[in-house]
Order: sequence, then structure tokens, then C-alpha cells
Amino acid sequence: MERTVIKSARLGQEMVKIKHPSGLTMLLCPMLGYSTAYATFTANVGSVDTGFKTQDDDAFVDVPEGIAHFLEHKMFENEDGDAFAKYAKTGASANAYTSFDKTAYLFACTDRFEESLEILLDFVRRPYFTKESVQKEQGIIGQEIRMYDDDGEWRVQFNLLQALYHNHPVRIDIAGTVESIAEIDDQLLYRCYRTFYNLNNMVLCVAGNFDIDAVLRVADRVIKPDEKPVEIERRHVDEPEDICKPLVEQKFAVAAPLFQFGFKGCGGNPRENLKNQILDEILAEIIAGDASPLYRRMYDAGIINSTFGSEIMAGRDYMCAIFSGESREPERVAKEIKAEVARMRREGVDQKMFELCRRATYGRYIGMYTRTASVAGLMSAVYFAGMDDMYALLDIVANATPDQMNERLQIAFNPERSALSIVRPLDE
Amino acid sequence: MNNQFQRERLCDGVHFSSVTDSKFKHNRITANLFLKLDRAAVTDNAIVPFILRKGCRECPDFTRLNQRLCELYGASLSCDVAKFGGYQVLEISIYGVDDRFTLGGEAMVEPCARLLTDILLDPNVDTNGVFDAHDVEIEKQQLIDTIESQINDKRVYALSRCKSIMCEGETIAVDKYGYIEDAEQITAKSAAGAYRRAIETAQIELFFNGCGNPETAKRIFMEAFSKIRRKPAPIETVSTAVRADQVREVKDEMDVAQSKLVMGFRTGGIPDRRAFGAMRMMVALFGGTPNSRLFTYVREKLSLCYYCAARFDRLTGLMFVDSGVEKQNKQKAYDEILNQLECIRRGDFTDEEITATRMLMQTSLKAVGDSLGATEEWYLTQIMAGATLSPADESALLDKVTRGDIIEAAKRVTLDTVYFLTGKEAAQ
Repeated sequence: MERTVIKSARLGQEMVKIKHPSGLTMLLCPMLGYSTAYATFTANVGSVDTGFKTQDDDAFVDVPEGIAHFLEHKMFENEDGDAFAKYAKTGASANAYTSFDKTAYLFACTDRFEESLEILLDFVRRPYFTKESVQKEQGIIGQEIRMYDDDGEWRVQFNLLQALYHNHPVRIDIAGTVESIAEIDDQLLYRCYRTFYNLNNMVLCVAGNFDIDAVLRVADRVIKPDEKPVEIERRHVDEPEDICKPLVEQKFAVAAPLFQFGFKGCGGNPRENLKNQILDEILAEIIAGDASPLYRRMYDAGIINSTFGSEIMAGRDYMCAIFSGESREPERVAKEIKAEVARMRREGVDQKMFELCRRATYGRYIGMYTRTASVAGLMSAVYFAGMDDMYALLDIVANATPDQMNERLQIAFNPERSALSIVRPLDE
Repeated sequence: MNNQFQRERLCDGVHFSSVTDSKFKHNRITANLFLKLDRAAVTDNAIVPFILRKGCRECPDFTRLNQRLCELYGASLSCDVAKFGGYQVLEISIYGVDDRFTLGGEAMVEPCARLLTDILLDPNVDTNGVFDAHDVEIEKQQLIDTIESQINDKRVYALSRCKSIMCEGETIAVDKYGYIEDAEQITAKSAAGAYRRAIETAQIELFFNGCGNPETAKRIFMEAFSKIRRKPAPIETVSTAVRADQVREVKDEMDVAQSKLVMGFRTGGIPDRRAFGAMRMMVALFGGTPNSRLFTYVREKLSLCYYCAARFDRLTGLMFVDSGVEKQNKQKAYDEILNQLECIRRGDFTDEEITATRMLMQTSLKAVGDSLGATEEWYLTQIMAGATLSPADESALLDKVTRGDIIEAAKRVTLDTVYFLTGKEAAQ
């Protein structure tokens, strides 16, 4: 069994990476003094995986939008009852979520860690789907989708992604549509499961109050090696560098217009994208963070309010930078940001602002190593990006340079590749 | 250095509390000003934290203040309004990394505590003690935006609407951000008056939570408050009717895809701690966990919704059930919700359900100490309720709750208000 200890001198913390004989990678970070243990069992599959095959399949299969999320819901049901009922006996608080490119099953507990971990590692490895249970879930997920249909923040984001991307499946809703999930059946779910839920496409991460030996005991007992490793081939989608359309608007039951203004970045690979995400976070702070001259100008003009913020969205082969908030004049906000970005691209970033924003980002990143949930999330994000050391992210912030910022400005913040999404009140 | 919750009086109506634990890497220092909810004063009070956030005498420029926070490793200075039972709370907090985790070994607790006291007690006012008129105009518009945007999140909006209808005319129905018609009347002078009254009359709870030295913050607070003259108003318990005489039904129409059903219940006046623990357990068993009655029957068995949950407000003794359903399923959901409550009243639930509910509640009680925000909220709620139970005390209390106690609790509950937010007829 391969076992590597990874330490951070900056934080006085360490994590252990173990390659279990079954083939499963485990990333473990015991945190002294905490009451909670937080465990995630994550598969490298999400809503963007809409076409795929394994080495044994002759042809690609194209699956309905939202199937990864549907599968996540259905995994909770086994032949011997549902997982929530099993957790009820240990007191763990369990959940799961599906993102663009990951599906995570998780629990938090304070006692009876070993039993809860056993439930997690067991139910995610035992699919059980029937026609009836799939039908029942269509009703529940249908209501989840309808709930998001009423969520202005959600709509403004997906409208933006549809404006930025022509073909990339990041433009589709994670839960799919009421129509697309109606096409899902038990056989498609099994195919999806067999492709993505194999040990070399998954990782177990645990942070907080637990004992490493307990994890090993449970893994030895529960995890059976896969019959053979699966090689996944994902259908390649051609995505042009340019955006799909510069403006998209929708009317909605909201009080004031909501907007998201995004710059489309390059495809990249998971490792580069994770590093660039951090650099772009510093850069977005320099451009429009609350310490920037631009933020002040817009705030004083009354065109942004305290809901204004930025986010860098990065995944397996996509990334974009998004500025969002509520505004009476979203077009003016977009214009101001574009002009400021164009100026910085010509003149370079201000050294003093860079230093301030690097420090602020450093402090914020430290925060991610203090909560059990975020440590588990960080370990799995870093692992799927092809890295082992989650503390390396802190070094990326600490060692960032103005040259890197100027380089990223040219690559990832091209005003020609930006789009604006607005959700307007009905009466406007 | 770890210490359990400690609270001491600094001066008239000003208390300082601390909880420290070396496992953390941050400190959270807050000042909470408790003002009795008052329809006439609530809006002027609500703008105060937002104006204070713009600067202080020492650092009057908003952008310079935000840059100062960047220098403090992205410490976040948050000024907002909360509601605890019958009280409006002006919250000023600063959250930053501890001295031990800065890149250059800079001190953090001292400058953070000092900045917080400057923001709170030494604002940027003119010789007449009046705020900058331009700042007030901007924040006035922002406050109006905040009030208006409460309709954006339909789930939260529907809950709050139900509560307002249920407690119409009572103190606890007053909105924490106030009212648009009053916000339009705010002037630099009226805001300054509200500020002075708050500093003079509010009960002030100062809180230090983290891994640093609370004595540093306490010393700075003592010094600053020694210069202030105060006439604090004592905390009163605010009560609402304990039983409903009849059921009131209200329907609103809005442009929504999914309807929201909210049911407000009164819980009959809770005589003692044990009954209180029983009520909390009853509500959790009814609809507070993924194994609860509402989750199991309304969501999983009938497949009517994505969420259907019950929550208990410990300061007002009100219980709310909310669910997102299709319009045509409202009656089915309504009937099943009441049917499940009836089942609990009849004692038609298993001992396993009791054990599972208790364990899950105890897990979340134990987890309180792992989060700075949750710890502070826990103790502020205790202080408001005139108690100082720790999460562990409450956990022990739950151990004593019996099946009979839960049945008794369910019998005390009466339905008061049914609120339904639904799509417009024409839109269907």
C-alpha cells in the first residue's frame, strides 16, 4: 500500500495520501480538536458528461441532459432500503451533490464514524434501479427543476453560459429539464454507472475528527476491487474560442435587474485550470474588488450595490470569469468593466493593488484549510486536477507575480470574448 | 489555549463574551446591538450598519478602508441587520486570520479589534454629529434595493410572508430591514439620530471567538466604551399568542413556475426545559431530517415535492412547514402534512425514529463548536432567551425526552395560518 505524508509548514497541518490495494485513492486529513468528521466519496462525472464510451463499448452513447444528477439521487436507494435510513442508525448527516464535472456523496458525523463510512462506501458501490423507482424520482427531480425555474440567480447564470458557449455542455442545466429527465430509464442509469463509478475514477476524502486506521479497516472490509479498470473516453465537443452571443435577456419575477457579465477563457486541462483559477481570482480582485477604483466609481454612481462580486468558474476543460450582482444599469456596468480591463491590458496591473489583492486572497485561502467540509472538498478538487498536495494552492497565491497577472489578462480577459446576461423585472 | 464560553459585564448594558480554541486559524470579533423591534424606528436603525461600513474618522475613505482590510489579509468587515425574536440586531463583525498565519508575522487581533471599535464608536461624522449626505443617499437606495429584492428568493419570501400574516400587528412581525415608504424619508440627520440612540440605549453583546487572545480585544473595547455615556433599555421577552383560535388562509399570485405552500403553527406555550427539548425533537421528527415524516411521506412516498420541511423558532415558539409543490397538488400535500402531524399525536411512530432524530440533532449540536459563526449564534440565542446552556447541555436534555413527551408536544401544536404563493391564473 502506497502511503505519502504531505505537510504544510505554513499551516502546521498534514494530510496523508493512500493508494488502497483495491485501486481506490484515499486522501485523509485528521484535524486535531474538531468534533466533526467529514467524508466525501466523489466520482469524476458531472452534467458535462453527455457523451461517452468505455474500452468495451463499440460506440459512444449520448445520454439525456441531467443524467449524472439523476443517478446521484437514485444511488441512495439500494435493494435493502435507502441510505438515509441506514445513516439514521449512526446519527450522521448525509447528502450528495452533482456539479458540472463531479458527483459527491458525503456525510458529516461526530460519533460512530466507522459505521457511517461503511454505509457510504457500501451504498455508492451497489446500484439498484427499477422502472418504478426511476419514475418516482422523475416527480421529485421535476419539482427540483421547477424550483430552479423560479430562481433568478440560477437563470441569469445559465443564460450567461449559453451566451458564452456554443456547444460545450457546461451550457446545460445540471439537473436537465423536465423533458430530458423523462427520457431516463434504468438501463441508461446502469450504463452511466458502469462507466463512471469505478475506483480509478473516484476518490475518498476525509477531514476532521477520525482515525486513519479506521478508514483502512473499513476499506479493507468493504471495498472490492473492480473486475477490471475502466478506460473512459468522453465525446469531444468542438467549442470555438469566440462567444455565442454578446447579450441575453429574460424577464422574471425579480425586484431589480440581476446580471452576470462573463469573460470566456480557454479550454485548458484540469491542472492548468486549477492554477489559473487562483491567479484569476487575484486578478478579478484587482480589476473590480471592493478595494479597486473601478468598484468605487460604480458604487458611487449607484450602478452596483453590495451584492456585486466576482467568481472564477473552472473545470475539466472550460473556464470563465464572471462579475455579477444587481444593477439598475447592467449594460453600463459591463461597459465600465470592459473599459477597465482594456486599460489594464494596455498599461499592466498596478503593483500596489496587486500586492493588496494577493494578501487578501492569501488570507481567504487559509480559511479553506480550517473547515472540515472545505478541506475534504479541496483535497478532492486537487486530486482530480492531477495533483496530490492541497497545500500547493497556498504557494500559488504566495508566489503569484504581476507578470502572471498581465499574462492572464491577455489570455483570459479578452473584451472581445465577453457576454452579458440580464434577468429583468417583469414590469420593466 | 482553549476556553469555554465566558461572559462578563464591561459597563452598563455592554457585555463581552469569548470562546477560544487553538484548532482555529481565524478570529471573529463582533459587536451586536440589540434594539427592540419598533415599526417606527426600524428603518432608520436598519441603515445604520451600512453607513458605518463606509468608513470611520480614522479612515473616512471607503476605498482606503477596503484596502486596509486587504492589508489585514483580506479580513472581512461585515455590517448587517439580523432579527432575534422580538429584537432587531445591528451586527458589526470582523473576521480575519490569526497573527500566527500571516506571511510576515504581523499582529492581527489588535488592529482588527481596533478597526471594529473605530467603525462602531468613532464614525465619520461632521461637527454636528451628522453623516455624510452623499453616503446616506447611496445607502438609502441600497436599503430600498435590499427590501425590494426580498421577493427574489421565493422560498424565503413565502416563509416570511406567512410569518407576517400570522403575527400581524405584533412586534415580531416587524421586518428587520424596515419599510420602503420609511426608507424614502431617511435623511443624514435621522440616520445619525438612530445611530446615537442605538449606541446609547441598545444592549450590546461583544463577542470574541477564535484562536487568538480575547484579552487584547477586551482591553480595546473597555477603553473605547469608557468614553461613552449610556442609558440601556433592559431586554424583554417578546411573546406572541400560544394557541390559534381559527385557521387563516391567504393566497398570493405571482409569476412563478412552482407554488409555495407555507403553514404556520403555534406551539402552545412551552412550560419548561424538558418540554422545550421535546418540542424541538417533535419538530425534527415531523419534518427536520431526511428521515422525518414529511421527507419520507410527502417527498419520497408521494413524490409531490423536492422539499417539505418543518422548522421551529426557539425564540418565538412558532413552527413553520414549507414546501414547493405544483398548484394542483396543494391539497394533497396539505392533507398529508396534517395527517403526519396527526400520526405523531396518536403515537403512531417507532422508537427507531425517536433514536434517529435524537442522534442527528446531537450530531449537529456537537458540530456547533467547529464553526465560529455557529458558536456565536448559539450563545447569542441563549443570551436572548435568558439562558446559558451549552450545546452539550442541550444534548443532555434531549436524552431525557420520551415518546410521551413527543406526543404531548405534538398535541400542543395548533395550525394558525396557511399561506399559498402561486402562479397567476392567466399564466397557467
